Amino acid sequence: MASQNLDPAAAAASSAAALKGSESGSSATKGSVTKRLQQELMTLMMSGDKGISAFPESDNLFKWVGTIDGAQGTVYEGLRYRLSLDFPAGYPYQAPRVKFVTACFHPNVDEQGFICLDILKEKWSALYDVRSILLSVQSLLGEPNNDSPLNTAAAELWANQDAFRAHLHATFQK
Amino acid sequence: MAAPVNVQTPSKTWELSLYELHRSPQEAIVDGTEVAVSPRSLHSELMCPICLDMLKNTMTTKECLHRFCSDCIVTALRSGNKECPTCRKKLVSRRSLRRDSNFDALISKIYPSRDEYEAHQRTVLERLNRLHNKEALSSSIEEGLRQQARYRNHRVKKPTQESDNTTFSGGEDNGDSRSHLSHDSAPSNTPHPRGQTPPEAGPSRKRQRASDDGSGPEADSGSPTPPLRRHKEGPASEIELVFRPHPQLVHANDYNQTRFVKTTANATVDHLSKYLALRIALEERRTEAQTENRGKEEGGAEGEGESGGTSRSGDGSSLNNVSEKQYTIYITTRGGQFSTLNGSLTLELVNEKYWKVRKPLELYYAPTKEQPQPQATQQQKSPPPQDG
Repeated sequence: MASQNLDPAAAAASSAAALKGSESGSSATKGSVTKRLQQELMTLMMSGDKGISAFPESDNLFKWVGTIDGAQGTVYEGLRYRLSLDFPAGYPYQAPRVKFVTACFHPNVDEQGFICLDILKEKWSALYDVRSILLSVQSLLGEPNNDSPLNTAAAELWANQDAFRAHLHATFQK
Repeated sequence: MAAPVNVQTPSKTWELSLYELHRSPQEAIVDGTEVAVSPRSLHSELMCPICLDMLKNTMTTKECLHRFCSDCIVTALRSGNKECPTCRKKLVSRRSLRRDSNFDALISKIYPSRDEYEAHQRTVLERLNRLHNKEALSSSIEEGLRQQARYRNHRVKKPTQESDNTTFSGGEDNGDSRSHLSHDSAPSNTPHPRGQTPPEAGPSRKRQRASDDGSGPEADSGSPTPPLRRHKEGPASEIELVFRPHPQLVHANDYNQTRFVKTTANATVDHLSKYLALRIALEERRTEAQTENRGKEEGGAEGEGESGGTSRSGDGSSLNNVSEKQYTIYITTRGGQFSTLNGSLTLELVNEKYWKVRKPLELYYAPTKEQPQPQATQQQKSPPPQDG
C-alpha cells in the first residue's frame, strides 16, 4: 500500500524526483522519517488546531504546505499565509526548511520568504514538529525580534503599529 | 525525598518546578484496586518523543530523566546539539545516559506482543495514508479529466456516432476489447504527479479488476479503472444494455451517444436514470471550460460518502442535484411504441417482462417533461447500480 512512502528505496526509480532535496541516507532511516511524518500528520489531523494547518503537497511526504492565520490582537489578524516545509532525510534530527510562500512583510522574514527563527536553525531540537514550528512562526508574527531584522524597513516601522498595519494590509497579496 | 526541607529553606538552590512544588503525594496502592489509564495517555507515556513511536531500548538521561529510544537519542546527540532534546539540559555524551531496562520491562508487560502492536500501528498509518492520498487522487483525476477533454474534442469531430462503452458493474468478464470504463470518475493511470503510481488511489476501486483491465491509458478516453465500485457482488446476475436517446424526444445533437452499459440485474430503472443524469451532467461540465474544482466529481461518482478531503469542498453542486427524475427511461414494445418504465422496476424484471430475447436489452432515454425541482437534499449521491 504505502510502499512508495515506507520504502523509498524500492520506489526510488519512480520517486527520485519526489525525494530530491533530501540527502542520501539508508532506506531504513528514510523509512523512519516517513513514519514520523505520518505520525505527525495523523496528530495534526486529529488535533484540529485553530489558525494553523499543514498537509503534504502531493503524495510526497517530504514536502508539505502549511497555512498560518495571523493571531488575534496582532496586526496580522485576518491575514492568512502559506508556507512550504521541506523535510531533509535527516529529519527530525535536522530542521525542515521552512519558507513563506505568501509574501510576508515582517522584520524577521526576508523578501524570498526566509524566516529568521532560532528554532529552525541552531536551536532546533528533534522534539519540534510541524505543529510546533507553525505555532512558533505564528507567534513570531506578533512578536518579532527587532534586534536582528532581515527586513529593516519592517523593523523600523514596527514601533508605529497603526502605520505598520496600514502598510501590511495595503501590500498583502495572497 | 527531602523536598519539603528545600521548599522551606529558599537559601538552597534546588530548583523545583511548579508541578513539583504543588503536587500532593500519591498513596501507594496495596489492595486489588485497578486504575484505568486511557490508551492515549498511556501512549504518551510510553512514546519516544523523537520517533513518536513506542520506546525501544529505552535510554534515560541521567540528569533530567527524559526517556528516548536508544537509537533516537544516540542519533540526536551525534547530529547536533549536545543537549537533551526535551529540556536542553547539557548532555555531554552517551555517558550522560543510562539504559532503562525497567522501563523496557514495563512496556513488554503492557504490550507483550510488540509485533502485534506494530502491525496495528501500520494499519492505522496506512489508513491515514490513503486519506492523504485522496488528495493526490483528486488532483490526478483532474489531470485525467483534462486529458479526456482534449481527447474528446478530437472525437467529437468525427462524423460517426461514437459509442461510449461503459460498465459500472463488478463483472470480471468483459466481452468487448474496448475499454469498458466510465470516463468520469476513474482515478486514471494517466500522468500522476511525480510519476508515482498511486497504489492507494481509491482503495475501494482498485479492488476490482485492477489487473484485467486491458486498456492502456490511451484506450478509449484514457482513464482506466472502474469507478463506482462496491465489492462482493458476484458476476452472477448481470445485464447488458444498449442505451440510446429517444429518437423522437431528443434532438439529434443532444447527447447523441449510444451507451453500452453493463450492470447488475437488480439495479432499478431509477438507478439507471440517475446514472445517466450524472453522466450527462459530467459531460456537459467537461465540455465547458475545464476549470478546477473537480473534487466533487469523484465524490459523486464514487459515492462512498466520505465527507473529508479538503479538496472536495469545491462547487460540484450541480452534480449533487443530479436526480433520477431528470430523465425518463423508455422501452420499445412490439409495434414500435415507446413505453415509459417505472422507476422502481429492476432491470431484471424489465428484461423478463418486456424484452425476453437473448440479446442486450435496448432502452431509450429522454429528459423528463416537467422537470421537478432538484431536491436540495439528495440522499444518495452515487450513481446507483451497486448492490441494488
